[in-house]
Amino acid sequence: MNIDIEDLAKEFGPERALHPVSLSIPSGALIALLGPSGSGKTTLLRILAGLEFPTSGCVRFDGADATGLSIQARRAGFVFQNYALFRHMTVFENVAYGLRAKPRRERPTRAEIDRRVTRLLEMIQLPEIGSRYPNQLSGGQRQRVALARALAIEPRMLLLDEPFGALDARVRKDLRQSLRDIHDRTGLTTVFVTHDQEEAMELADLVVIMSMGRIEQIGKPADIRARPVSDFVRAFTAA
Amino acid sequence: MRAKILRSPSPLPGFGVSFAIMMTALSFVVLLPIGALLGRGFMTGPAELWDMVNSRRIWAALMLSFRAALIASLINLFFGLMLAWVLVRYRFWGRRVIDAAVDLPFALPTAVAGIALSALYAPNGIFGQALAPLGLQVAYTEVGIWVALIFIGLPFVVRTVQPVIGELEPDLEEVSATLGARRAYTLRRVVLPALTPALFSGFALALARSVGEYGSVIFIAGNIPNVTEIAPLLIVIRLEEYNYDAAAAIGIAMLILSFAMLLGINAIQIWSRRRIGLV
Amino acid sequence: MSDFTPAQTGRATAEPRPVRYLLIGGTTVFVALFLFAPLLTVFTEALADGWRSALAALSLPDARAAARMTLSIAAIAVPLNAIFGLAAAWAIAKFDFSGKAFLITLIDLPFSVSPVVAGLMLVLLFGANSSLGVWLMANDMRVVFAFPGILLATLFVTFPFVARELIPVMIEQGRTEEEAALTLGASGWRTFLTVTLPNIRWALLYGVLLCNARAMGEFGAVAIVSGKIRGKTATMPTMVEMFYNEYLSVAAFSLAAVLAMLALLTLLLKTLLEWRHADLLAATRLH
Repeated sequence: MNIDIEDLAKEFGPERALHPVSLSIPSGALIALLGPSGSGKTTLLRILAGLEFPTSGCVRFDGADATGLSIQARRAGFVFQNYALFRHMTVFENVAYGLRAKPRRERPTRAEIDRRVTRLLEMIQLPEIGSRYPNQLSGGQRQRVALARALAIEPRMLLLDEPFGALDARVRKDLRQSLRDIHDRTGLTTVFVTHDQEEAMELADLVVIMSMGRIEQIGKPADIRARPVSDFVRAFTAA
Repeated sequence: MRAKILRSPSPLPGFGVSFAIMMTALSFVVLLPIGALLGRGFMTGPAELWDMVNSRRIWAALMLSFRAALIASLINLFFGLMLAWVLVRYRFWGRRVIDAAVDLPFALPTAVAGIALSALYAPNGIFGQALAPLGLQVAYTEVGIWVALIFIGLPFVVRTVQPVIGELEPDLEEVSATLGARRAYTLRRVVLPALTPALFSGFALALARSVGEYGSVIFIAGNIPNVTEIAPLLIVIRLEEYNYDAAAAIGIAMLILSFAMLLGINAIQIWSRRRIGLV
Repeated sequence: MSDFTPAQTGRATAEPRPVRYLLIGGTTVFVALFLFAPLLTVFTEALADGWRSALAALSLPDARAAARMTLSIAAIAVPLNAIFGLAAAWAIAKFDFSGKAFLITLIDLPFSVSPVVAGLMLVLLFGANSSLGVWLMANDMRVVFAFPGILLATLFVTFPFVARELIPVMIEQGRTEEEAALTLGASGWRTFLTVTLPNIRWALLYGVLLCNARAMGEFGAVAIVSGKIRGKTATMPTMVEMFYNEYLSVAAFSLAAVLAMLALLTLLLKTLLEWRHADLLAATRLH
């Protein structure tokens, strides 16, 4: 699914989190929103998920206006920075959550839910942990469970807020590759937010550099390195 | 100085003095009186105690106290949760006044609450007159006792649950919505389980307070033996008859029943926490 | 697009607007019926025969004696409780020793004992039927049906108030500031006065406020221990009961109105403390 963002702006009271920004995300791309904290990248991601509503501008999914679409109807697989796993549910129940939450007539049968959850746990290479609780998992395992939970609803896009932020350096490298693999396998349009330029450059097809609520530059990692459009971009990507 | 042996060393002074003050006060004010009651029961012996408690009137009073406390606390569980939710999550005119008013039952003397409720619900009171055409009588019935105990127990539930709602991570509700869950489903499957331990403690506190409540109840209850006579009142009556042994027997029965009840609630709470992996 | 549903304004995860209004309306009605109505009744009943009758009732000798009794009890019980609370919090929060949890349970015990049972305990301990009571009588000391008994009953029911407020606050503040003061050469007492006390003064005031409200308002325990002797051992709450049972409604409610105003003052001060100094108070407390 391709995503078009047109003149999107967001104000929190007197604060401008997002100046009008426009961006086209082609179907199946893996995009990084890169910038320092307060640059508006998380706000943009949350607007795509339906967690915030823009003050002005619009969002189109496959050309159809989705600006006012409810959060539930968007089917955006969202992975939070701290994963937001449900502590009182097992890993299996966490992953099955979105399927069980469907209205009765759309809900898959119990056997079908079992099958899909098992398949997802295999995909994240953690087939054995279904009966464990989140507090019995390592940070890297939690991140992968959160990813599986988001994928369970067969989302139309995958949105990740600092997906590697809470992990230590070694695990981070492994999980980058596994996100890349999952993206390539599912072909989902994927947007992730990061403040780590190395992570963005290594992982993304297209990097969107943001600062102070504006988009500074959009481009392939190599192009941004070769031709930064501003001092800010040069300084930020050189770090 | 035995306490000194059991404590780890600290550079701060004043442990001996503060510990001594604390233990002296605790012994004289709390432990000695409790010891007097238990000692009295011990000297009387369990068989005698049982004989003294085992009368229709006392059983009726004990059952009434516990049943009414249970019903009132369940009602408070519902309204207390609702109140706490509204106070934390919504902004509306008068919110701060309502928030402050929740503590009124803590601050208002129980006797004052008692006569006020009695005046309101008596057949010639405002609420009494309004309810009479509906065939409802509150004053001098068990329902009147519920009303008084709802008043007394409400802040316990609200004040236990309120801070927990305030600390709920918004992420959890948001992620539930992104997974397609409707709001009601999120509240039931994500929010309610997170609040369950606090709801349990608030319920237990309200219950413990309601079982022994006296001042706010006796005016509205009508105090008809076997019908609306609560256990604490029966203690008072026995004491006024200088029947100390019978009063002590009822007091001990109340202590034992309260203790068993709180133990049961704790057990359920620990069990449910284990089950949902919150240990 | 077929699955288009209009979004709510504001937070994406809030309840739908009608539900919100229903909940706000429901709680407002509940609070009005169960909390405000009784409070209002106290004042309307007190003024049923006008201001003059209410004021006349308050100047009855019995009412004035009861007020004196209540004030004297609070004047002694509250400071004693504050001293105990400070000592207990200092020992429990600033030192590590075994059996702490059990000790806290014991301090909390009065919360879960019926006030009537508390009164009963004191009567059993000091009453005419106990050996201690007989000895006291022989030496011309009265506890039950006298001031000391009322004081002990009040101390029992208010026992946990100050300690329960201070302990969590002092645990949270740790002991590094005190240790720093000691290394700078301050004496232990000076450290307490200049470092600890300023840090806990609002929490202490808060605990004292609640303790005072309960001390002045206690009914069940005091009713039993005092014997409710008019003009001698009757306190304001027990006097309210006696007036009420004698069908002196205006007198009962006038006295009750004074207590209710005291409760409102307590709530006002408590709310002010919570607004101004929330960070220096215990996060959760239960009385």
